[in-house]
Amino acid sequence: MASRYPAQPSYVLVVQDDPILLMMMVEFVENAGCEAVEATTVAEVIRLLETRTDIRTVFTDLDMRGSTVGMQLAITIRDRWPPVELIMISSQPWEAAKIPARGIVLGKPFDRRKIEAAIRTFAG
Amino acid sequence: MSRPATPSVSDPQRLDALTSYGILDTPPEAGFDGIVQLACRLCDAPVALVSLVAGDRQWFKARIGFPPCETDLNRSVCAHALAQPDDLLIIPDLTADPRSADNPLVTGDPFIRFYAGAPLRTPAGLVLGSLCVIDKVPRPEGLTEVQQADLRLLAQQVMDLMEMRRAVTARDSLRAADAQAFRTRDALRNTQAAIAAAEGDLDTVLHAVVTGAMQAVPAAQGGVIELLSGQDLEYRAVQGVVADHQGLRVPLNGSTAGFCARTRQPYLMIDASSDPYVKRDLVEMLQLGSAVFAPILSGEAVLGVLKLQSSLPVAFDERDLELAGLFAGAATTGFAEAKARAEVRANDTYWRGLFERLSEGFIVGELIRDAQGRVADWRFGEVNSAWGHLVGIDSTAARGRTIRELFLGIEDEWVSEFARVVETGESSTFTRQVGVLRRWYEGRAFRIDDNRFGVLFLEVTGRIEADARRAALLNLGDNLRDLRTIPEMIAIAAEVVGRTLGATRAGFGRVIGDVEAIEIEPDWRAPGQVSIAGRHVFEDYGDIRAHLQRGEPLVINDVSTDPRTRDHAASLHDIGVAAMVNMPVRERGRTVAVFIAHDVNPRIWTHEELAFLRNVADRVEVGVARVRAEDMQGVLNIELAHRLKNTLAIVQSIASSTLRNVAEREPVEAFERRVLALSRAHDVLMQKSWAAAKMHAVIESVLSMQAEKDRFALDGPDLDISAQATLSLSLLLHELATNALKYGALSADSGKVHIAWRTEEAGAAALVLDWTEVGGPAVTPPSHRGGFGSKLIRMGLLGTRDTSISYDPKGLRAEFRAPLTEFQAQVH
Repeated sequence: MASRYPAQPSYVLVVQDDPILLMMMVEFVENAGCEAVEATTVAEVIRLLETRTDIRTVFTDLDMRGSTVGMQLAITIRDRWPPVELIMISSQPWEAAKIPARGIVLGKPFDRRKIEAAIRTFAG
Repeated sequence: MSRPATPSVSDPQRLDALTSYGILDTPPEAGFDGIVQLACRLCDAPVALVSLVAGDRQWFKARIGFPPCETDLNRSVCAHALAQPDDLLIIPDLTADPRSADNPLVTGDPFIRFYAGAPLRTPAGLVLGSLCVIDKVPRPEGLTEVQQADLRLLAQQVMDLMEMRRAVTARDSLRAADAQAFRTRDALRNTQAAIAAAEGDLDTVLHAVVTGAMQAVPAAQGGVIELLSGQDLEYRAVQGVVADHQGLRVPLNGSTAGFCARTRQPYLMIDASSDPYVKRDLVEMLQLGSAVFAPILSGEAVLGVLKLQSSLPVAFDERDLELAGLFAGAATTGFAEAKARAEVRANDTYWRGLFERLSEGFIVGELIRDAQGRVADWRFGEVNSAWGHLVGIDSTAARGRTIRELFLGIEDEWVSEFARVVETGESSTFTRQVGVLRRWYEGRAFRIDDNRFGVLFLEVTGRIEADARRAALLNLGDNLRDLRTIPEMIAIAAEVVGRTLGATRAGFGRVIGDVEAIEIEPDWRAPGQVSIAGRHVFEDYGDIRAHLQRGEPLVINDVSTDPRTRDHAASLHDIGVAAMVNMPVRERGRTVAVFIAHDVNPRIWTHEELAFLRNVADRVEVGVARVRAEDMQGVLNIELAHRLKNTLAIVQSIASSTLRNVAEREPVEAFERRVLALSRAHDVLMQKSWAAAKMHAVIESVLSMQAEKDRFALDGPDLDISAQATLSLSLLLHELATNALKYGALSADSGKVHIAWRTEEAGAAALVLDWTEVGGPAVTPPSHRGGFGSKLIRMGLLGTRDTSISYDPKGLRAEFRAPLTEFQAQVH
């Protein structure tokens, strides 16, 4: 993508309801050379994805209020916007079968190297 | 026949000789009568006599023509014959002879005139009398020569007859004496035989003595043994005329029998009417004429008196007294026998009584062999009553039957072991169940002879079952502690209950609602029984809710008779339930579950069995509660882990934001990674509820965030290490690996790190960890003390500072030590 659209910035939709963690996640996206688009609710995510076709990657925390909300969102995105890449973080391990196709789950606390490398790979 | 008696008349020798023939006063006999007839005829005389001259009279054994059978000696002519033993005495005219002229028989009736007598002379020459002929007319011519010779011959015939008669009499009396002696011996023998056969029965003995005595003493009309009883003598074994007086008591003082008893001497009562000792009123009552009494003695003591009596006076003589003594002696023997027998019997009774009173079962068995001589069975001989009690079969019904008959399908060991005892002679001790009775016995078997053995035993079912229950509870406790899931626990507990109680089904069910229904978990069943797992409504099986609602066990020994279930017995029988227990499990005052035991046959659930079931139910409940608590703990741990990790992520975020304006990003990243290492340590710890961790897992987890696994070689025991050690080890290795990546072996592609650890038991046990880098660039010691990382390394494991670092040019080597007790997790 980067080679096809070199002038175009890569937009990464960062989904996080905790403002402090949101700051850190935005930093990771920016360090990876991408543009961060912030969302704090599921509804916001849906609206943004429906309107912003330039968002090709979603970087979301699965541990959002309401235990299964994060994963539900990821599944919904994979269903409705199959091309969108999914980078997820979680404080708990997930079974591989439950993770949406092409998705990646990284742990908490953050391993900066792995996260930034993943963003570069998917969105950079 | 002349007046003065010749001196020879009174010759005692002659008189003794006469007496010895025993002929005086005997009845007429044909032989003598024939002789006097012949004498009359031969001498042509009207009178002939066999005249015997006694001391005071003459007596005629045979006579013709002369009525009197005897005369006094004044009238005797024959007496004169004694004076001429060798020849006939012939007096042709008695009136003319001075020896007879005055004889009344001459001077008066019958006016005899002629006499001729031949002497009756014994072989010793003594004249006993004469054979004489008499005429009433004088015979001046006397007798002819022939007549005289005939008379002498006839006199000799008389003597021969008398001799013969005497011999016969002597023989007869000898025979009589023999017969009497025989009778006595026979009677005595019979008596002794009867006594021997009496087997010590006193009444039989006494009866035999009296019978024998009466047989031996024919004069006895009645016989009795009067036994000493206090100050009385009591009539026993009464026979004959006293037969109606059994039990009569006569005083020891004041009766003839009493006199006999007191003097211990036989006593001949010649005439009761004049007896000085007799109790007068007895004389008439017993029709007592005379009697003999003989004491029955035992050593010095008197046991009683044998009395033989007759209604006639003077019925007994000394000989009878002697016989009575003989039989009294037999009675003594009989008494001794009776006493000995009684002692034996008492002894026998004693031992038998002892065996009967034993609380142990006692039996004597006799082996039964098959055609090949192998022991196939055995038969009950002696069986005491305790046996019946312990086995539940009437003891008397067992005698004579075999064990295989009595207990169909009994274990072979009940035969083979006792056979071995008989064959080897070695006693054996056993503890074994009779399966068909479901009862356990412990005992000792011993050999009696080639074919028999004895067994003394007790029932130990209670103890064995108690042991089994105790063992089952222990076993269950161990199992429940190790099991991690509730279904596993229930399955194990059900099996333990089923096998231990010998039930046919056991299970556990969750109660639904207010004891309305039950959801039964998969149950344990004896072979052939169906599972009742699934939902059941209590009311379908009778009125059985109430107990469980109250939290009391529902115990039914027989569903077909118990009022709570008898109307629903069929539905219970359909699922193989004849007896049941439902043991409630309570939670906060409600019955939430039930432990179930069923039996396909009616049975009495004992107090101990119910207690056991209660115990199992409690343990299962405790186990279930523990598993639930652990599950809950697990959920909490996971939740806590999430929060911790999330919080650490926030800490990273805060640090990163705070240090946003710091130009150098390296310390920021180092911080983030230390947090990450700490989190990895927690990850490993969480798997064991934060109490311990596996050492390999800890090391691999923290190193995996630094480099590929194959860069590290681990060598050491996979210890369970404490939470503190986990955190300390993780942070230490993180710093060492970070340095190795920057400056050491891991900075080069070929570099590796060996991590080896061991425990040292010498002295204070310690863990020793070696970090050895190889294949990296040449090492030089750092020029400064370094920062947080270096400090952490120097602090070592668990902050012991027991650290030695060697900057070998070929690679860094470090050794860390920590007390093993703190390093290692305390495994519960």
